[in-house]
Amino acid sequence: MREPHEHPEHEERIPKISRQRVRDRRNDKTQTGTFPVVRKTARKPATSLRSRAFRVRLISSILVACLCALLAYGYVIQVNNTDVTYETMSEAELTRLISETNMQAQSLEERKSELTRQLNSLRESANKEAQAEKIAKENEETSGILAGRLPAHGKGIIIHISQGSKRHIDAATMFNLIEELRNSGAEVIAINTVRVVMSTYVRQTNNGLECDGTLLSTPYVVKAIGNQANLQNAVNMAGGVGSQLTVKFGATLSIDTSDNVEITEVQSVPDYTYAKIVE
Amino acid sequence: MAAVLGLIIGVVIGVFVRPDIPVVLQPYLPIMVVAALDALLGAARAYFERSFSDKVFVISFFSNVITATLLVLLGNQLGVGSQLTTAVIVVLGIRIFSNVSTIRRFIFKG
Repeated sequence: MREPHEHPEHEERIPKISRQRVRDRRNDKTQTGTFPVVRKTARKPATSLRSRAFRVRLISSILVACLCALLAYGYVIQVNNTDVTYETMSEAELTRLISETNMQAQSLEERKSELTRQLNSLRESANKEAQAEKIAKENEETSGILAGRLPAHGKGIIIHISQGSKRHIDAATMFNLIEELRNSGAEVIAINTVRVVMSTYVRQTNNGLECDGTLLSTPYVVKAIGNQANLQNAVNMAGGVGSQLTVKFGATLSIDTSDNVEITEVQSVPDYTYAKIVE
Repeated sequence: MAAVLGLIIGVVIGVFVRPDIPVVLQPYLPIMVVAALDALLGAARAYFERSFSDKVFVISFFSNVITATLLVLLGNQLGVGSQLTTAVIVVLGIRIFSNVSTIRRFIFKG
């Protein structure tokens, strides 16, 4: 670049020539062997060739991958395809399959009938059990009422007996009354606050009548559940307990019938020492 | 590499996508799979022999599949479908075995 300043006189004289020389020198200095134009033209086809090869390889790998994917896809689908294709089976295979299926069906049928039988028997036994339970419950109720464990209510009569004016009512007569009531079908009986059960007794003490360990105070109230007419008849019968009470002891007797006699008194169940249930 | 990748992709797609194969196509699918397997192994053998060409591979893949299917179809129409299926399977099996043995020889030699 400093070339033009080295010979200023020449430049002034023959500017054209000097300028040409300067240009020549500059051109001479350009390093040879690496002509950019030539290089560019030489490189261009090389890179395009490489990229084309790369593209071809890419395409071929993609194709290979696609076909392999297709193969694997078909394989997996076939593996998962669980339905047996009967079309490709031979006659012998089909016959064998049919006989096998028939045998299987038969055994399953047998099994089914067996299970059905079991189910029926179980149902029957369940029914029986339910029935037994029902009966047991009924029994429990009736025997509970009978044994005095359960309170009861229903149609019946209430008898008020005042203390005898002639003499005190004795235990035998009282017991007689209970017996009469029982005979006429009284289902539940109570005297004052004592529930009359099988083992109930009436005892004479100095202080009066005692029933199952409880002193009975006058007036005696006897409640009985049962057929009202029968019970009334039993008490009012000519020469019966009623007349005995009025005539012999001078007691006043009043019998009320009620549609809802409530007997809430209960007796505890005795522990049986000797009696055992027959199995 | 691409082949392994493709196989994996195919398995994954097959696991997740379950199309209903038409009943008509059902007997041919196993044959197709075996034929494609044969083509794949042939390609692997060509690869080891350094004469692998993607065009040849694609053409052999499809021609194998189509030929096998058509053969079985023909057999079904002639009433010898099961026999012809067996024949195709046997032939493809023999080819697969020979391809595998060639590949094995290449692997153990190289």
